[in-house]
Amino acid sequence: MSTKTIDYSKNKAFLIDTTKCTGCRGCQVACKQWNQLKAEQTTFFSGEGYQNPPAMSEYTFTRIKFRDYQKDGQNEFAFYKEMCMHCNDPACASVCPVGAFKKTKEGPVIYDAQRCIGCRFCMIACPFGIPKYEWSKAFPLVRKCTGCYSRIKEGLEPACVTACPTAISYGSRDAMLKEAERRMKEKPERYYKKIYGKEEAGGTCIFYLTHQPLDELGFKPVTSRALPSYTWDALRLVPGIFLTVGGTLSALSWFNHRKERVRREEEQRQQNADQQPTEGDQQ
Amino acid sequence: MTAARLIIDEVKGYHRFLKFMIVLVALGALASLLRFVFGLGVTTNLNDTYPWGLWISFDVVTAVPLAAGAFTLGAIVHCFHIKKLEPLVRPAIVTGFLGYSLVCVGLLLDLGQPHKGWHTLVYWNVHSPMFEVSMCVMAYTTVLFLEFLSPVCEKFGYRLPLRVLRWLEMPLVIAAAAISTLHQSSLGTFFLIAVDKLHALWYNPLLPLLFWMSAIFTGISIIIIEATMVHRYLNQPDESELLEVLTRILPWVLGAYLLVKLYATIFLSHGPLFDRPWLLMLFLVELGVGVVMPLLMFLNKANREDKRMQLRGATMVVFGLVLNRFNVSMFGMIQPDQQVYIPSLIESVVTVGIIAAHVLFFVLIAKYFPIFEHHPETVDYALPDSFRKLDGAHKAPATQAEQA
Amino acid sequence: MTNHWNDLQNSDCIFIIGCNPAENHPISFKWIEKAVDNGAKLVVVDPRYTRSASKADIYAQIRPGTDIAFLGGLINYALKNNLVHLDYVRDYTNASFIINDKYAFEEGLFCSFDDQEQSYDAKAWAYELDGSGNPKRDTSLKDPRCVYQLLKKHYARYDLDTVCAITGTKRGDYLAVADAFCNTGRADKAGTILYAMGITQSTHGTQNVRAVAMLQLLLGNVGIAGGGVNALRGESNVQGSTDYGLLFHVLPGYLKSPEFDNVNLAAYNKKWTPSTKDSRSANWWGNTPKYVTSLLKAWYGDNATPENDFCYDYLPKRSGNYSYSKIIEKMGRGELEGLVCMGMNPAVGGPDSGSAREALGRLKWLVTVDLWETETSIFWKRPGVDPKTIQTEVFMLPAASSIEKEGSISNSGRWAQWRYKAVEPVGKAQSDLWIIDQFYKRVAALYKKGGTFPEPLTKLSWNYGHGHEPDVHLVAKEINGYFTKDVTITEQDKTLVFKKGDQVPAFKYLAADGSTLSGCWLYCGSYTNDGNQMARRDDSDPTGLGLYPKWSWCWPVNRRILYNRASVTPQGAPFNPKRTVIAWNGAEKKWLGDVPDGPWPPMADDKEGKYPFIMLPEGHGRLYGLDLKDGPFPEHYEPVESPARNLLSAVQNNPVVKLPKNVSSNLEQYPYIGTTYRMTEHWQTGGMTRNLPWLVELVPSMFVEMSESLAKLKGIKRGDKVTVTTERGSIEAVALITSRLKPFNVGGQKVEQIGMPWHFGYAGLSTGDSGNMLTPTVGCANTNIPEFKAFLCNIEKGGRKG
Repeated sequence: MSTKTIDYSKNKAFLIDTTKCTGCRGCQVACKQWNQLKAEQTTFFSGEGYQNPPAMSEYTFTRIKFRDYQKDGQNEFAFYKEMCMHCNDPACASVCPVGAFKKTKEGPVIYDAQRCIGCRFCMIACPFGIPKYEWSKAFPLVRKCTGCYSRIKEGLEPACVTACPTAISYGSRDAMLKEAERRMKEKPERYYKKIYGKEEAGGTCIFYLTHQPLDELGFKPVTSRALPSYTWDALRLVPGIFLTVGGTLSALSWFNHRKERVRREEEQRQQNADQQPTEGDQQ
Repeated sequence: MTAARLIIDEVKGYHRFLKFMIVLVALGALASLLRFVFGLGVTTNLNDTYPWGLWISFDVVTAVPLAAGAFTLGAIVHCFHIKKLEPLVRPAIVTGFLGYSLVCVGLLLDLGQPHKGWHTLVYWNVHSPMFEVSMCVMAYTTVLFLEFLSPVCEKFGYRLPLRVLRWLEMPLVIAAAAISTLHQSSLGTFFLIAVDKLHALWYNPLLPLLFWMSAIFTGISIIIIEATMVHRYLNQPDESELLEVLTRILPWVLGAYLLVKLYATIFLSHGPLFDRPWLLMLFLVELGVGVVMPLLMFLNKANREDKRMQLRGATMVVFGLVLNRFNVSMFGMIQPDQQVYIPSLIESVVTVGIIAAHVLFFVLIAKYFPIFEHHPETVDYALPDSFRKLDGAHKAPATQAEQA
Repeated sequence: MTNHWNDLQNSDCIFIIGCNPAENHPISFKWIEKAVDNGAKLVVVDPRYTRSASKADIYAQIRPGTDIAFLGGLINYALKNNLVHLDYVRDYTNASFIINDKYAFEEGLFCSFDDQEQSYDAKAWAYELDGSGNPKRDTSLKDPRCVYQLLKKHYARYDLDTVCAITGTKRGDYLAVADAFCNTGRADKAGTILYAMGITQSTHGTQNVRAVAMLQLLLGNVGIAGGGVNALRGESNVQGSTDYGLLFHVLPGYLKSPEFDNVNLAAYNKKWTPSTKDSRSANWWGNTPKYVTSLLKAWYGDNATPENDFCYDYLPKRSGNYSYSKIIEKMGRGELEGLVCMGMNPAVGGPDSGSAREALGRLKWLVTVDLWETETSIFWKRPGVDPKTIQTEVFMLPAASSIEKEGSISNSGRWAQWRYKAVEPVGKAQSDLWIIDQFYKRVAALYKKGGTFPEPLTKLSWNYGHGHEPDVHLVAKEINGYFTKDVTITEQDKTLVFKKGDQVPAFKYLAADGSTLSGCWLYCGSYTNDGNQMARRDDSDPTGLGLYPKWSWCWPVNRRILYNRASVTPQGAPFNPKRTVIAWNGAEKKWLGDVPDGPWPPMADDKEGKYPFIMLPEGHGRLYGLDLKDGPFPEHYEPVESPARNLLSAVQNNPVVKLPKNVSSNLEQYPYIGTTYRMTEHWQTGGMTRNLPWLVELVPSMFVEMSESLAKLKGIKRGDKVTVTTERGSIEAVALITSRLKPFNVGGQKVEQIGMPWHFGYAGLSTGDSGNMLTPTVGCANTNIPEFKAFLCNIEKGGRKG
C-alpha cells in the first residue's frame, strides 16, 4: 500500500504548543462533556503535579500529563495533552481484520463499532498505545478519540480545540506545520528543535511544540516509518508464497509419484516377463 | 437401553485419567460461561496495558504451531514420499484438527464481540495479518475436517463421501501445507507491527520465516511425543523406528532455524539486545533448551533410536517453542516500567480445560475411530487408491484365486 | 481593573504578583500569551512555582505577606535608577504637592498615632494649602517636603539587601524583576500589574494595592494601553456585586453608606462630597449629591421628594464595622437572630471556619440560597456534631444557576455583558431576582399589617412587572435611570429635550433635584433609549488595541481604559503614538479613540483643561495617600503570624490592626508558614465543583503541598495522610511533595512553607477538611479582608486520630 501518492496536506491537524499550555484541563473536561464519558474514580493525584486520571481509558480519551521536576536548579512545570495522533497511515486501520478503523479524508481516524469483532489487535499495533477497551462491559468495544468527527462534519472544531484558550490551534496539516515552523524560527530559544508528530509513525495529524527535550517530557520515541509497511512487506508475499509452496509440493509430489509409477511399471513388466514361460508349460 | 444410559455406562468404564480430563473440560466450560456472563474485564486480568494475555499467547499463538504436525507430516509422507511414515499421518491429522478447532474455541472466548466473528468473512481488510490468519485458519480447519472425515466415513461405512475424500486427499495435503505456511508465518507477521514494543531479541523482519520454521520442527516433535504417548498408554505399537526417521529430519530443520535466527537477531535487529537481563535469560533458555540441546542430541544415532531420548528431545523442542511464542507475544512486549500480567484463575482454568479437551477428545477419537490402522482391511478396495495404500494387497486374493 | 482583559495583549511587561491567572483565570492567558508573542516579558512573583510561573520569563519567590517590601524595593529601584516617567510623575501625580510640616515617619510609625485607640488621625497627613485653599506645589520636585522627596526618603530604606532579606527572594531574581519591570517607565513602554487575593488578603492589603498603584504611577503606566492597576476578580460577577453596593460600607456606585452621624441628606452630602478649589480638577465625586438623590428616587420613586429629603431617613445608618468577621463574631455571641446566606458559604469560605460553624449554631434561623447543599446548609449535622444540640431552624432555597436566568455579568474589566437564559431552572430552583422579589413582596405584605417602622419597605417603588419572574430588563433600565419629568438641558452647543420616562443617556445628566432616578450611577448609559447596550455584540476594533467599543458596555460611560487622559501629554498628544488610546484633534476640538476620561480639552488648555485623575479632588494620582487608616505610604509590616522579626522597623505588625486572641507567632509550636490558594479545577468553597464528577476526577481530595526538604524532615511521602495545625484548629489532608515549593531564607534561617487549597468541606460528592479551619480572623486595617495568605502552622505525618 503506497502512501506516497496520498496527499495529507489538507487533512485537519492539531498544533499543540506546550509552551502555551497552562495545564488547565479545559480540553480534558470538554472532551468528557462532548463524548458524555464517565468520570473516573480517583483518590489523589496519579502522576506528577495534579495529573489525573492514572491513564487514558474507555472513559478518558485525552489527558493532560504533568511534569514537575527540576533541571539545573530551575523548576520545570510542563503539561501536554495526550491524545490519539490520527496518523496519516494508521497502524490500527491496517491491522484491523474487518477494517473497523478508517482514516477519513478530513483527517480523523474513526472507528466503526458495528464492524468490530473485539480482537484488540489495534491495541497491540498502535505505537502510541491509544485504543482502549471497555473492560467494564460484557461485550466490549474499542474507545478512542474520534477527532470530533461529527463536529467537523458540521463545520465546528473539535471540543478540545474550542475549549482551549491558549495552546491548541487547528487547521490544515500544511498550515499547522507551517505555523509550527514559523514559531520555531521566530523564537528559537523558546522551542525544542523537533516537532513531535510530524514524522512519527510516518506522519500524524498532531504536532507538538515543546520547550523541554521530548524525552524529558515523556514523549515516546516512535519509528518514522509508517507502521503498516512493516506488515505489508511480509503480507504482500502471501500470494507468491502460496503459489510457490503449493507449486513446489505439487511438482515434488507428481515427480515422486511418477518415479513410483515408473518403478511399479518396471516391476510389473518384470513380473510379466517372469510369468511368460508358464503359458508354454501349461500346454 | 436409552442413549443416555449407553453413554453413561460407557463413560463409567473410562480410565481415571480420562474422567479427570472430563472434569477439567467441564470446569473450563463453566469458566467460559462466566466469561460471557460477566465480561472480559471481570473474569480476566487483561487490561489496556495487556490487551492480549494467556488466551492469545497460548490458545492461539502457541496452539497453532503445536498443531502443525498435520501439514508437516502430510507433506513429508505424500510429497516427499517417505511412505514409511504413513501410519503417523492420521494421528497427526486428528491432533491438527483438534488443535485448530480448539484454537477457534479459544478465539471465540477471547474476542470481545464473538457473535460478530463472522464479520471477517464479509468485511475484508487484506492489509491485516489477522485477516490473513483468520481466513487461513478457517480454510485449514475445513481442510483438516475433510481429512478427518476419512476415518469417520470408514467407521460408519459411508462409501460415496469416502470416494470423494480419497480423491481429494492429494490436493488437500498440498493445500494444507501451503495454507499452513501462510498462517504459521503470518502469526509472526502479527508482531511486525509492534516495532517499538517487541524487544530487539525477537523483533526482526524475518520473524514470519522463523515462525514457520519453528512450526515445522514443532509439528514433527509433537508427533514424536504423541506417538510415544499412545504407545505407552493406548496400547499402540512401538513406532520408534518410524520416529527415528523424524529425528533425522529434526536436526536439519533445527540447524537451519538456528542459523536464520542468529543471523536475524545479530544483523537485522535494531536496538539494544542486552539491556534487559530477564529477557536475555528467557531468550537463552528458549534457544538453548529448545533448539541447541535437541539439535546436538539428535546428531547422535543412539539418541535417535532410543525412545526415551526421542521423547526427551521432542519435549525440549516443544518447550522451546512454547517459550518462544510466549516470549514474542507476552514477555518481549513488556515495557521496562510496566507492571507484570498474571493470568486470572478463570483464564487459567479455561486454558487448562482446552488442553484437557484436546487430550480427552484425542483419546476418545482414537478409541472410536480407525486412526491407528496400518492396513485398512475392512475397506472396499474397488475405490481409487491414489495413495497406493493397497499395493500388493489388492493383487493377493486374485493371485491366490488364480493359483487355486 | 483600570484597564481590561483584552488590553493585556498590548503590554510590554506583565507583572503578576499575588495572583495566579493561569490557574484561576485561564482564559486571560490567551491575551497574556499574545503579548508575550509580541515580545513582552512575563514576570511572576509568588511563594510557589505555580502554573503561571511555568509560563514566565522571570520567576521570583516571595515570602507570603512581604509584598510591600518587594514593591517598595521596586519603587526604590525605579527612583534610584531614574526609571520613572518624570513628566508623567510631575504633571499627573501628587509628587509635587507639599505636605504639612507636622507629617513625620519615625521608627515604623507615622505621626499622630494614638496608642490607646490604636489609630491614626489622618488629618495630620494633609497637604499644605496655599492662600486659595489649594495644595502647595513644587514642580521642580526638589522641596524636601514635597511628596516626591518624602517618597524617595521613605523608600530609600528598601534597599536591595534589606528587601531580599525580608522577602527571601534571591538577589539575582529580584534584580531581573526590577530590571524588566521598571524599564516600562519609558514613554514607549507599557507595564501592567495583575494582582488578586495574594495582595488583598493581608492585614495591610489596602497598602499592598497602594504600593502597586504607586509603582504604576511612577512608571507612567496608569491610563495607557497595556498598563494599569489590574485586579483579577475572583468570581464572574463579583465586580457587579461590588458595583451595586453589596459591601457593607457602600451604596450602589461606591457611594458611602450613611453613618449614624449623617443626620440628614445635607449632612450626608457635606460629609461625603469632596470639594476642591482648583478649577482644573474635575473632582468627579463632587457629583455625589446628584447620584445619591437619583438613587433615592430609584428606590422610593414618587414617595421621595425634596421635602422629605428624598426618603433619606429610610436608609439604615451604620454605626460601626459590619464586615463579615464582625457578623460572625456577633453571631457567635448569640446576638443575631437570623442570617440569609445567598450564594455564600461561611462554614468553608471565611477564616477560622470552626468558629463560624459554631456561630451558625447560635442563630434562631438560617436561610441558605444555593445551587447545591453546602456546608453552611448542613452545618447542623456536620461531622462531630449531634443535630439534637442545634436549635437553628434552617431553610434551603434552591437557586438557579447563571445559565438559567437572564441578566448581566460584570467582569474584572468592568464590562457588563448581558447573558440570555439558555435553559429552564431545574426542579423548583428560582433566580435570585425572583427570590429577592418574593422576599420584598411577602415582607412588605407582613409590614402592611403592622410592625416597627414599616415605611422603608412599604414605601419602596418596586415595579418590575407582573409576571411570575420580575422583568430583569425593567431592573436594568431602572439602574440606568430615567427622567422623572420632562427636562430640557442646555449644553454648550446643543439643547437636549428629555421627556418623563426617557432613559438617561449618561450620568452627567443625573441631577440632585429629583428630576432623575438611577439605581446605580456608574451604570448610567448601560440601557438607554437606544436599547440594552450591554447586549451589544459588535466585534469591531477601530484602534486595534482590543478596546472593542461596541462589544457590550463598560462603566463608566463605556470608557475602556480609565485615566486615559494620563496617556497623553498636557497638550493631548499620546506619549506612545504606536498605542494611541486617546488623542486630541485640535482642529475639530475633540478626542479620538477611547471614550476620554472627561470630554474636556487637554490639561494644558487654560480655560477648560482638566487634570487626568478626575475621581480625586486634587485631580492628581496619589503617590501619597491621604485618607487610609494606616498611613499615607505603604510600609512593610510582618503578617500577624510571622516567623520573622520586621527588619525595617521596630513595629512588628500593622499598628492599626487589633490582634485577636487566637493568633500565635510561637515558632516552636508553629514553625512553618501556611498559605491558602485556589485551583483551576475547583471553585471557591467547592459547592459547584465538588459536586461535578468530571472536576472531582481531576482533584478528588484535600491536599497540601510542601517542599521536598520538609517532607524529608517529617518523614512524609507523597500520598501520606498528614495533619496540619494552627492556633485555630487542625485539618487532615494528603501530602503532595514538590520542588515547586521551596523554603524561605528568613534572616539566614530556612523557614518552610505549606500551601493548600481551601475548596474542600464536608458536603458534596467529594469531601475533605477545609483549609479555612486554619486561617486567622484578622484582616486589613481598611477593608477587613482576612489575612488568608500568611499564617503559621505545624504539620505531622498521620491523619486525624479517631
